[in-house]
Amino acid sequence: MIFVTIGTTPFLRLIEKMDEIAGKVDEKVIMQIGYTKYKPKNAEYFDFKSYQEVKELCRKSKVVVCHGGIGSIITALETETPVITVPRKKKYGETPDDHDFELIEALLREGLVKVAYKMDELEDALKNIDMYPVKIKSDKKLVNALKDCLNHLDKSLKKR
Amino acid sequence: MKICLVCSQGGHLTEMLHLLDAFEGHEIVIITHDAKFTRTLETTYSFKTFFIKDITSESLRLDPLSILIHLLIISFGELRVFLKEKPDIIISTGSEIAIPICYLAKIFGKKVIFIESLCRVKELSATGKYIYPIADLFFVQWKSLSCKYKKAKYDGTIL
Repeated sequence: MIFVTIGTTPFLRLIEKMDEIAGKVDEKVIMQIGYTKYKPKNAEYFDFKSYQEVKELCRKSKVVVCHGGIGSIITALETETPVITVPRKKKYGETPDDHDFELIEALLREGLVKVAYKMDELEDALKNIDMYPVKIKSDKKLVNALKDCLNHLDKSLKKR
Repeated sequence: MKICLVCSQGGHLTEMLHLLDAFEGHEIVIITHDAKFTRTLETTYSFKTFFIKDITSESLRLDPLSILIHLLIISFGELRVFLKEKPDIIISTGSEIAIPICYLAKIFGKKVIFIESLCRVKELSATGKYIYPIADLFFVQWKSLSCKYKKAKYDGTIL
């Protein structure tokens, strides 16, 4: 199964391209199309599901295809599902700036995602996804740092 | 201690949900956008939820006047939540809906913690830049950003 998710702003180019691909491949394709107006013909789709349901869909999928948004990427990565990201572009009115590139390039350097910069690259990226294992080292460092700060603050509030 | 979490729907909220373990043992209220997905938060996580209408999700090109009016509406909504809930601390992962309540919190002598999104690698977000001067704690998720901004603390990521 291939799960496609695009976040909370419309991403017509990706939904159209993945619908076209869905018509060619044997793999089942499910899409969370959000506010995108286009309705896929070859894939199952819905607008939004809860975080838990989306996580479950990621877990069941062979690969997650998404925009360069952090929410979708971390949800897929924590289920150890390979991710192919496609950056949204300012020139198509998909984002106010090209910030998807900044994240994608940083995650690419860390070896955490695969990228299709252009829609034409998506099909090949999907074919090669088996060669791409996902390894996430979660150390909960940020959670623990935050927890320590809050406990410290709580103590000082109680002393007052 | 009562914590008020503030974040937009989408990635900002997903990042916040990844931090929930840090808030264990404290009372939580959350301010976020009103959306199909966020309406499930109250039943799933059992914290009190307050909603703000999201005008940015459907149209990206907003004129400055609409943004200003939007921020004013948010400010009044957040002031009401703030006075009603009296949180000890505001924690945000962005975006712009966090700005009014963070300033309100400072006016009332409360603490503000901001966690910049993992997607900000080289530069702070616009919201981050507004909140940076008043934040008691400001976390970034890339080392390069903590070098650029003295007050910003790098202590791992949400991953």
